[in-house]
Amino acid sequence: MRCDAHNDLQSELHCRIERNAVLSALPPAMSALKTSTSASGSDPPIGGHQETGPSGKAILAVIDSLKKQVASDRSIYIKKRMEENTEKVLDVTKNLYKLSMERRNFKIICGDGGVDLLAKRQKDAIDMHSGIGTSNGDNESSSSQEDGYAPSAILLGSSIAVKNAVRPIKLPEVKKLPPYTTWIFLDRNQRMTEDQSVVGRRRIYYDQNGGEALICSDSEEETVDDEEEKKDFVEYEDYILRTTIKEVGLSDLTLDLLAQCLSRKSCEIKGRYEDLIKNDNAMCRVNNGNAEGFVNPYIDKDLDAALDSFDNLFCRRCLVFDCRLHGCSQDLVFSAEKQVPWSSADVEKEPCGPNCHRLVPDSEGNASVSSKQTNFEEKAATASNTSAMQIQKKKQGGKSVKIKSKSCQSESASSSEIKPNDATSSVKSASAGKSGGDKRSSKRIAENVLVAKKKRQKKMATSDSDSVAGSGLSLKDLTLRTNSRRENEDIKSTSSRKSRRKESLVLDFDKSLQGEADSGASNESESNQPMAGTGDTLKKEECVDENMYKQEVIDNKYWKPFEKALYEKGIQIFGRNSCLIARNLMSGLKSCSEIFIYMHRSEKKILSRDGDGTILADGCLKADGNEIVGGGARRRSRFLRRKGRVRRLKYTWKSAGYQSFRKRISERKDQPCRQYSPCGCQSACGKTCPCLVNGTCCEKYCGCPKSCKNRFRGCHCAKSQCRSRQCPCFAADRECDPDVCRNCWISCGDGTLGVPSQRGDNYECRNMKLLLKQQQRVLLGRSDVSGWGAFLKNSVGKHEYLGEYTGELISHREADKRGKIYDRENSSFLFNLNDQFVLDAYRKGDKLKFANHSPDPNCYAKVIMVAGDHRVGIFAKERISAGEELFYDYRYEPDRAPAWAKKPEASGAKREDGAPSNGRAKKHT
Amino acid sequence: MAKIALGCEPVVGSLTPSKKREYRVTNRLQEGKRPIYAVVFNFIDSRYFNAFATAGGNRVTVYQCLEGGVIAVLQSYIDEDKDESFYTVSWACNIDGTPFLVAGGLNGIIRVIDTGSEKIYKSFVGHGDSINEIRTQPLKPSLVVSASKDESVRLWNIHTGICILIFAGAGGHRNEVLSVDFHPSDIYRIASCGMDNTVKIWSMKEFWTYVEKSFTWTDLPSKFPTKYVQFPIFIASVHTNYVDCNRWIGDFMLSKSVDNELVLWEPKMKEQSPGEGTVDILQKYPVPECDIWFIKFSCDFHYKAAAIGNREGKIYVWEVQSNPPVLIARLSHVQSKSPIRLTALSFDGSTILCCCEDGTIWRWDVVASS
Repeated sequence: MRCDAHNDLQSELHCRIERNAVLSALPPAMSALKTSTSASGSDPPIGGHQETGPSGKAILAVIDSLKKQVASDRSIYIKKRMEENTEKVLDVTKNLYKLSMERRNFKIICGDGGVDLLAKRQKDAIDMHSGIGTSNGDNESSSSQEDGYAPSAILLGSSIAVKNAVRPIKLPEVKKLPPYTTWIFLDRNQRMTEDQSVVGRRRIYYDQNGGEALICSDSEEETVDDEEEKKDFVEYEDYILRTTIKEVGLSDLTLDLLAQCLSRKSCEIKGRYEDLIKNDNAMCRVNNGNAEGFVNPYIDKDLDAALDSFDNLFCRRCLVFDCRLHGCSQDLVFSAEKQVPWSSADVEKEPCGPNCHRLVPDSEGNASVSSKQTNFEEKAATASNTSAMQIQKKKQGGKSVKIKSKSCQSESASSSEIKPNDATSSVKSASAGKSGGDKRSSKRIAENVLVAKKKRQKKMATSDSDSVAGSGLSLKDLTLRTNSRRENEDIKSTSSRKSRRKESLVLDFDKSLQGEADSGASNESESNQPMAGTGDTLKKEECVDENMYKQEVIDNKYWKPFEKALYEKGIQIFGRNSCLIARNLMSGLKSCSEIFIYMHRSEKKILSRDGDGTILADGCLKADGNEIVGGGARRRSRFLRRKGRVRRLKYTWKSAGYQSFRKRISERKDQPCRQYSPCGCQSACGKTCPCLVNGTCCEKYCGCPKSCKNRFRGCHCAKSQCRSRQCPCFAADRECDPDVCRNCWISCGDGTLGVPSQRGDNYECRNMKLLLKQQQRVLLGRSDVSGWGAFLKNSVGKHEYLGEYTGELISHREADKRGKIYDRENSSFLFNLNDQFVLDAYRKGDKLKFANHSPDPNCYAKVIMVAGDHRVGIFAKERISAGEELFYDYRYEPDRAPAWAKKPEASGAKREDGAPSNGRAKKHT
Repeated sequence: MAKIALGCEPVVGSLTPSKKREYRVTNRLQEGKRPIYAVVFNFIDSRYFNAFATAGGNRVTVYQCLEGGVIAVLQSYIDEDKDESFYTVSWACNIDGTPFLVAGGLNGIIRVIDTGSEKIYKSFVGHGDSINEIRTQPLKPSLVVSASKDESVRLWNIHTGICILIFAGAGGHRNEVLSVDFHPSDIYRIASCGMDNTVKIWSMKEFWTYVEKSFTWTDLPSKFPTKYVQFPIFIASVHTNYVDCNRWIGDFMLSKSVDNELVLWEPKMKEQSPGEGTVDILQKYPVPECDIWFIKFSCDFHYKAAAIGNREGKIYVWEVQSNPPVLIARLSHVQSKSPIRLTALSFDGSTILCCCEDGTIWRWDVVASS
C-alpha cells in the first residue's frame, strides 16, 4: 500500500514538475545547483519528496540548458564539417574540370585522323540552329544528306518543322545469359556466419511480374526488430548524463528526469551511469598503473594465453586456423588416451648439438642426484648452515623480523596472510595462497620473492649442495612432512595452472617461518604444521626443504614462466628427452643441457615427493600429477586413464561396432541423419554420452578411448575395395577413413615420394573420393532444358563419384525463411543435409548446384559421412558420356514440390534425403 | 526509421523555396511510349558538356542542348532485341579520348557504344541479371562500375573489355544493387546501395594491381583473373527501405530511400576494424511524394545543387552544401504528372532535364534574374 502510494505520489509529482518546468522561466543556474545538491544529498525516501519540488525544476533546467548546449554544439559541428567538405569538393571538382578540359585537346594530340562523329553532329546541330536563327526558317532540310554520314541532327523545339529523322543505329543482338545470382565458389561446405542470417531481418521482395513489393516477415520477426531498437547511449547522452549528475548530484529524481528528457527508462539511465563511473575508475586505474612503472610485456605473456588463442582459432578436425566449417571456439575435446611420449631409439645416442647435455661432462644435475645418498649425515650441517644464514638474513634487513613478529599471530591456517616479502613490503595482504583466482597478484608476489631470493642467494652458496630431500627420515617426520605437504597440495590445487609458481611461493612461506623457529621464536607460528614444536628433526627437515626450494628458485629466476610452460608441454609431447624438447620447442630459448639440468631438478622434487607418497598414496598421486601435468583437468584425466587402461577390447567388424551401427541405420530409416559432434567422454561412453544420446557413432574426434563401444569401427575390406555394401563403411553411407579402417589406403602421386606401407592386399580403397577430392571436371553451360546446366567433361562409368554439392550450412529455421524467398523466385538451392543443417548453395557453392532436376536422371545424390561431417556427393547413376548434361532427382517431398518438379526443368534442390540411401540399399541387397 | 539520438540530429532543410533561381520549361520531347529511366549530361569531356544521353526501352539516344531551349537529336541507338529495356546509361571515354556511352538494362548486357564512330564498341556479357546503374570513374573514364540485380557490383575496363573485379560474396549485397558511385577523388573507393537497405563502401586498394593489369591485358578478356572483393570496408544502415540512389559529395554521402527525403551523412570508419563504423547523419532534404523506388537524383558538376523528381512529376532542386539546406526551386508544370525517374543538371546547373515514366523528356532553363 505504502509503496503504491509512493509511486502515485511520485508520478503526480513528475507531472507537476514537468508543468512547472514548462511554465516557469529558468531559475538562475547557481541557485538551482545549490538546492538540488542539498536535496539529493539527503536522498529522501518518501517524505522528502515535498522539498524536492523546486530541485526537480532546477534539475530540469540544468538538463534543458545542457540539451540546448548540445544542440548548438551539434549545429556548429555540422556547419564546420559542411564547410570543410565544401572546400574539399571544390578542390575535387577543380581537378575534374581540368581533366575534362584536357580531354578536349586529347583527340588533337592523338590525331589519328578519324572523324569524331559526335563532334560533327554537334557542329551540324549548332550550324543548323544558328542557320535558323539567322535565316529564320526558310532553309528546310538544309543540313540533310549532304555529308556522307546520313542525316545529321534533328532540332526539336525550334520553330521549323522537322522532316527528316535521325536514322537509328542498330545494336546487334547479344544473347543474354540465363539469370543467376552472383555466387562464390566453395570447395568445401561452410557454416553460415551470423551476419548472413535472414532470420529476424526484414526483407522486401520485389515481384517483377506483379510490380509490387512484398515484405517478407512475420510477427515473430517483428519482435526481434523491436529488440534491436534498443539503442546504445551516444556520446552526447553520456555527456548530459554525466554533467547533470555532477552538477546536481545523484538521486532517483535526477535519474527519472534524465530518463524523461532522454526518453529512456530510468533504470537504463542508472545502469549507464554506473557503467560510466566504472569506466572512469578503470581509466584512472590504468593511468595509475602506467604511472607505477614500466611493465615488461613479456612477463605477462605466458603459454596458457597463447595456447588459449590457439585453441580458439585452430580447428583440430580440419587442422586449419579459422575453420569455416566448424568455426572458432569449438569445445575442446581431450582424448582420453594420451599419446605415449614419442621415443625414437636413434635419437638417444647422438648428441643433438653443441649444447647437448651429453656433451656436458658432469652436469650439476647428475652431481646432485649422486649426492642424494649422503644427506643424512649432512643434516646437522645443513641445519647449522641454515640457521647461520637466517642470522645473516636477520642482520641484513629488519623488515623480515617485523614480518615474522606479525606472523606469530596467525594461526594454523595457510600462511597466506603473512606474505614474507622481505624485499618489497608493498604487497601486504593479497590473498594469493587462498584465492586461486587471483593469479596476477600471486604471480607478482612470486616474482618479488624471486628478486629477494636472488639477492640473498649470493650469500649462501654453501646451501647448494644440501638440496636433497632426505630418504632416511624418521617415521614421525615423514608423517609430518606428508601432512604439511598435503596442505601445500591443497593450497596448490586451488590455483589452476600456475601451481608450480605458487608452490614456490608457499614454500617460501615455509622458509621464513622456519627462520623464525630457528631464531628462537615460538613454534606455534608455523602455520603449516598442526603439530607444533616437534623438535629439531622437524626443523632440519624443513631446512632441507627450504634449501631445496631455494635451488628451485634459482632455476625459476632464469626460466621465464612461459619457458617453463613450454618445457612442460615438451615433457608431455616428447617425454623426458631434453634433446627433442630443445630442438622442437625451445630452440633459441634454452639449450639442451639447460633443459636437462632443469629436468633433473624437477625430477628430484618428484622423487622426494614420491618418498612421501609411499606413506600416503593419495598425496603422492596428487603431487605426481601436479608436477607433471599441472592442470586440474588434466590431472583428472591422467588419473582416470590409469583406471581405464585395464583392458583393450578385441573386436572384429562383425562385432560391436557393426552391430550397433546397423541398428542405427534402421533407426534412421525415416528420418534424416544426425549431425555428429564429438563427445568429451573420458572413459568408455556410457548412457550419458552426448553421441549416444544423439544417436550418432563416436568418431575419432571424440574424447573417449578407442575401445568405446559406440565407436564406428571402420572396415577390414581388401579386395572389394569398399565399393559395395559388403563394406560396413559403404553400407553406413560413410567414406572410409585410413585412421580408422584397417586396410584402406591409397597411393598418392606417381610414387616418387614413396609408396605408403600397404595394408592388406594391393587394393586401394575406392571409398575415399570426397575426402581426397577425386572428382570429375564439371562444366557450366546453358542447359538444354532450362537456365543453366551442369555438364560432364569426360565420360564416366556407373556409380562413379562426380563431385560434391557444396554450400552454406544453415539451420532448418534459417532454411525455412530463405526458402520462402527462393520459392518466389522459383529457384531454390536448398539441400537437406541432416537433422541440424540444410545446405544452401544460393550464394556460395559449386557448379553442381546448376545440375537440373529430372525424374529420370543420370545421377543421384547421397549424403555421406566424411571424417565426421555430412557431405553431399553426386554420383553417376549410369554410364555418362563426355559432354552430357547432368540431372538428378531432387526428390522434393510430394506435397512441397513445385509444379515443374515432375517434368525435367529448371534448377532447384532436393528437399528430402534418406531416400537415396534407401533406394540404394534395395538395389544392392 | 529509428529515432535519432540526442546530439545527433540532422539539420533538416525547409521546403520553402528560396527563390534564388527560377526555372521555366523550355522544351518537352516525347521519345516513345516506353518509360525513360536515365538522362545524363556528359561531364567527362568539356567538348560535350552540352550533350546528353537518354536510355529507355531498347533505345539509347544522344541529344544536344542548344540555346533557346532547343534540343537537337544527334544519335540514336536501338538494340535489336525489342525486349531489352535500358535502365541506365553513362558517359565514358576510351583511353584515346573517344567519347563512349555505356548502357545497360534488363538483359544484363553492358553495351559500350563508340559515339565517335557511331558503332557498338563492345558488349559485356557476365552479369547474371539486369543492370540497374552504370557509373564512370571520373579520374579514369575508361573504368566503369555496374550495379546489378544479380547482387553484385562489377568493375569493367571498357577499353580492353575486361571484368576486373566483382564486388560480391560474403560481405556483399543481399538483394538487388540499385545504385553505385565512384568516390570523386579517392580512386580506390566506391559506394553501392540496394534493395537490402544498406549502403556499402568498398575499397579496391588491395586489388589495384589487377586494375592496372587490365589496361595492358592482351589475351582474351575471359582469361583475365577476375577477383572477387567480398568484404566492404563499411556497411551503413541509414535507411530502412530500398536505397535506390547514392552519390558521394566529397567524403559525405547523399543517398535516398523511399522516405520522401535525401539524406546527407558522413561515414565514420574505424581504421582497425574494417566493415564497422558509425554513420553521422548531417542533413536532410525533404522531397514530398517521393516514396516509390527507382527515382534517382543528380548533381551539377560542382555538386552545388541536387535535383530530384517525384512521383507526381515535380522537381525539387536543393542546394546540397549549404547549412542549413536551401531549396533552390520547386519545379512543377501542369502537364508534368508522370513519375520522374531521373534528372540531369547541366554543368553549371542552369539547365535541368528530367525523364519520365510516360516517355517524356522535359527541359527546364534558369530564368535570367531580373
